Amino acid sequence: MLIQNLKTAFSSILSAKLRSFLTMLGIIIGVAAVLLMLAVGEGVKFQVSGQISNLGSNVLTVTSGQVLNSSGNNQRSASFNPSSSLGASTLTEKDLESIKKINDINLVSPIMLVSSLITGGSNVSSTTNIIATTSSYGIIRNLKFANGSFFTEEDNLSGSNVAVIGSTAKKNLFGDKNPIDQEILIRNQPFKIIGLLEESETGTNLGPSFDDAIYIPLNSAVNLTQTKQIFRIIVQVSSANNIDQAKSQIESTLKTNHGGQKDFSVLTQKDLISAFSSILDTLTSFIVAIASISLIVGGIGIMNIMLVSVSERTREIGIRKTVGATFSNILEQFLIEAMVISLIGGFFGLILSVIGGLIIKKVVNITPVYSLRAILIAFSLSVIIGIIFGVAPAIKAARKRPIQALKAL
Amino acid sequence: MTEKTENLVINLRSIKKRYDDEAGVLNALRGIDLTVKKGDFLAIMGPSGSGKSTLMNIIGLLDRPSRGNYFLDGIDTSKLGDNQLSKLRRDKIGFIFQTFNLLPRLNILQNVELPMVYRGISLKKRKLKATKILKSLGLEDKIKSRTNRLSGGQIQRAAIARSLVNDPSLILADEPSGNLDSKTSDEVMKILVRLNKTGTTIVMVTHSSEIAAYASRSVRVKDGKIS
Ligand SMILES: Nc1ncnc2c1ncn2[C@@H]1O[C@H](COP(=O)(O)OP(=O)(O)OP(=O)(O)O)[C@@H](O)[C@H]1O
Ligand SMILES: [Mg+2]
Repeated sequence: MLIQNLKTAFSSILSAKLRSFLTMLGIIIGVAAVLLMLAVGEGVKFQVSGQISNLGSNVLTVTSGQVLNSSGNNQRSASFNPSSSLGASTLTEKDLESIKKINDINLVSPIMLVSSLITGGSNVSSTTNIIATTSSYGIIRNLKFANGSFFTEEDNLSGSNVAVIGSTAKKNLFGDKNPIDQEILIRNQPFKIIGLLEESETGTNLGPSFDDAIYIPLNSAVNLTQTKQIFRIIVQVSSANNIDQAKSQIESTLKTNHGGQKDFSVLTQKDLISAFSSILDTLTSFIVAIASISLIVGGIGIMNIMLVSVSERTREIGIRKTVGATFSNILEQFLIEAMVISLIGGFFGLILSVIGGLIIKKVVNITPVYSLRAILIAFSLSVIIGIIFGVAPAIKAARKRPIQALKAL
Repeated sequence: MTEKTENLVINLRSIKKRYDDEAGVLNALRGIDLTVKKGDFLAIMGPSGSGKSTLMNIIGLLDRPSRGNYFLDGIDTSKLGDNQLSKLRRDKIGFIFQTFNLLPRLNILQNVELPMVYRGISLKKRKLKATKILKSLGLEDKIKSRTNRLSGGQIQRAAIARSLVNDPSLILADEPSGNLDSKTSDEVMKILVRLNKTGTTIVMVTHSSEIAAYASRSVRVKDGKIS
């Protein structure tokens, strides 16, 4: 019976190809939109997670403000408040020194951000981040060099004007030229480039990029700006096993420094990934919810056409009932037809979203990730839409009385 | 008397049918008593509008009488729901119409299989049986054709094949040759006679006394009554 109904559904869909296609269009667009949004969300998550993973599993990031609310174990549901890390920093030189004294901590490196245009070669860049730090930074981040090396602690202590350049920043300023020993201007002060970083694997243009960055010694930045503001502290722990212990020790030490106030956050790589995942998930579900509206519109389209189709096929229904079809036989026939229409629509929607994904990859350099889960969601959504919006027409068809139906033209 | 009712395929007891709609009230059947025995070939005659098709629809369980009782193979049909009526039609009645009523989107084989589909018979058995019956009616080379490729006589033979596939106790034919020329209607009538000879009960509506002559007995309907 099911096979028979599937055959009937296909033959009826094929007998009016254009109409079937137009009926499917709403579902095609709806499924494509939902799937594409899920895939882009997943893709962004993948890239950001990749970037964070590059930090290493034995690295802690100390930042000003309460970035993650809820100190509970359920990190997925922790609410993320990145703006609390902006503004005047609560981290101090004293914090830095206190952290250095904690057991199991190998290296500590402060980060200060400097805003400035950068002039280099014959170009000016306004997007490049200027990260002022100490020599440990290069070790903690495990930076790989295409050319040259990171600055030394002597460079930092003496406040010498040297700089390390990321691959994107180099491309923007110097193109294909070798930047080593070239000068760049930061706030009109000349800095000599002594190192060029390799392109990082998860290069992306989302958020601050490690590739579009220039690294200078902290003391040079202090001389340049006449201020010292510790934006972040990155910490390398002796091993990944000690990370939780180190985290709580840093937390209690800094809390004492800050007069008992926890106006800072100590984040592991896992914390960062789950925080990013949680905001991305929220964003994604919001966008997907909007995209789903088009699925509902698609469903209404199916219902509309199915109702017309039921009227047109009254005589067919009459004949089927005459030779013995019951209410449920006819109901099943039309329900399956609606489901087949929306499933085929879902399939074309999947194809459309893959095409859309290729375009998105080209245009904004995000690789959409099609998880099996997303594909299953899209297909079950189309089946559900088919059922919901197919039920009314199918009941209408199944209720027809044989004698009236037979007499219909 | 009991022995007699046991052999009745159709037993109609004071059947009345009243149409009541915006256009007015019409008593299409005004008390019909009619019995058809197993193996009968009954012709129902009468002028246009006399209620023949109305009667046939009630006998075929496509419509319900306003009053009266109808026993089909001894089953009181007035107590049955729509789905049970569907199943009774499927299992006990074969229909042949003046307008054929085959599905244009299906080929002849699929059309003939349809009553067996609703009976839940397997694809293999369906194919076997439908092909056998179509062969016996000389349609073996039309099995894959759709109705628009067939002549009226061929379509009606396919419809006869469809009416036979579930081995019904009763075949109902409402003017089966009404759309056919005299030569093809002769062919169709000969098929019906042959079926009747092998024991199939047939009730047929016709205007023509020539056609009615093929039946073993006939009744006349006039103004909703058997005269
Ligand atoms: N659905 C209906 N609603 C109202 N009146 C109807 C309906 N069906 C039939 N009638 C009326 O009932 C009467 C009997 O109709 P019926 O179709 O049974 O006649 P018939 O004997 O088959 O005629 P014909 O020989 O022309 O086919 C007619 O007057 C017809 O107009
Ligand atoms: Mg009639």
